[in-house]
Amino acid sequence: MNCIAKGMLGAGSLLPLAVAADWQVNLEPGVTEISQAVFDLHMTIFWICVAIGVVVFGVMLWSIIHHRKSRGAKAHNFHESTVVEITWTIIPFFILIAMAVPATATLIKMYDKNGADLDIQVTGYQWKWRYQYLGEDIDFFSSLSTPKEQIQNQAEKGEHYLLEVDNPLVIPAGKKVRFLMTANDVIHSWWVPALAVKKDAIPGFINEAWTVVPEPGIYRGQCAELCGKDHGFMPIVVDVRSEADYQLWLAEMKQAKVQAADAATKDWTLAELMEKGEEVYNRACAACHQANGEGIPGAFPALKNSPMVVAADPAAHIDIVLNGKAGTAMQAFRDQLNAVELAAVITYERNAWGNTSGDLVSPAQISELKQ
Amino acid sequence: MSPKPNLWQMLCSVLAAFFGVQSSHNLQRDFSSGHALTYFLLGAAVLVGFVAFVIFLITLALSLAGA
Repeated sequence: MNCIAKGMLGAGSLLPLAVAADWQVNLEPGVTEISQAVFDLHMTIFWICVAIGVVVFGVMLWSIIHHRKSRGAKAHNFHESTVVEITWTIIPFFILIAMAVPATATLIKMYDKNGADLDIQVTGYQWKWRYQYLGEDIDFFSSLSTPKEQIQNQAEKGEHYLLEVDNPLVIPAGKKVRFLMTANDVIHSWWVPALAVKKDAIPGFINEAWTVVPEPGIYRGQCAELCGKDHGFMPIVVDVRSEADYQLWLAEMKQAKVQAADAATKDWTLAELMEKGEEVYNRACAACHQANGEGIPGAFPALKNSPMVVAADPAAHIDIVLNGKAGTAMQAFRDQLNAVELAAVITYERNAWGNTSGDLVSPAQISELKQ
Repeated sequence: MSPKPNLWQMLCSVLAAFFGVQSSHNLQRDFSSGHALTYFLLGAAVLVGFVAFVIFLITLALSLAGA
């Protein structure tokens, strides 16, 4: 045995058990009745496939060994056997029917969207999720919150690396929640394995899915449809709370909305807007225009020394941030950010990285334009 | 030359074609003594019947599921 083979065997035998325990290949059973049904169906079909594999390859192996040439076996030379052909057609037919019965029963359960207690519209954006609680006047965006230092290997990666967001989706435990999925730009897919919900979010279409999560907890997922540069950076976090905690959260969200509206009427200083603007920029803009404002040549334009950004009249700059630019990846941030955040980020862009416009765009000015 | 297949034999051949398995003997008989147009018409009729059967099964399944 050569050194490499010895080394590989040694490494294999020393594989820590903890690593093996974390290494999951199989589907997870999840936490909902539907996810358990999906898992059971998956395992049933898996074992049927294993049994077929054992029988087919067992017969093949036995035949190869038992009828080998060295034992003097002579091949039969015949053209057809209708009985055998019918047999190997009929048997898979019945196996497929046997698989279809439990699969159909599970699918019927999954597609039963009646009687929802709460409707949430889920909209995929490049590269974040928007959650609108229908009838509750709650509407927010959920973006990746993993620090850039971790992504760029400048800091140790956290426990929930790339699976953490600033604003998780909050839903009540034990209630039927219906998700109405769509997208704003390209096709995304909202996938939370523990809930067995995976549904494409397609621009111009509404797809439906639902869940009832019996116990409070945090459940994480990801976009499951390749959707562009930051496809791997738009995770999903579902925060399931007890009914009382959920009601408390609803009240807090409504209160925060009132406070945001009040903040827009306050007089902000340049320093305050710059501080707030940097935070908003890193969260909402840096993925494309980069933290240093230099963009990615050929893909995303630089804001540093950009004639539009440093122009004396900020109108064009404000317009593109609010309304986006058709035919490019520049999104409309009118609905994604509130007036204070918009004013702050525009002010920040006009005064950061050596940009020296020196002017301040006020939240009141943005509020007026948003109406 | 094989004797001309009767309607039942032709129907069996059409069903065998749907199933995907046919004996060599019947295949030779159909090709040497049968008429292609008859098989096309029989095949179309069986296809319509099959689609109607599938629609019936789906309707039955949905009604049983309470849809």
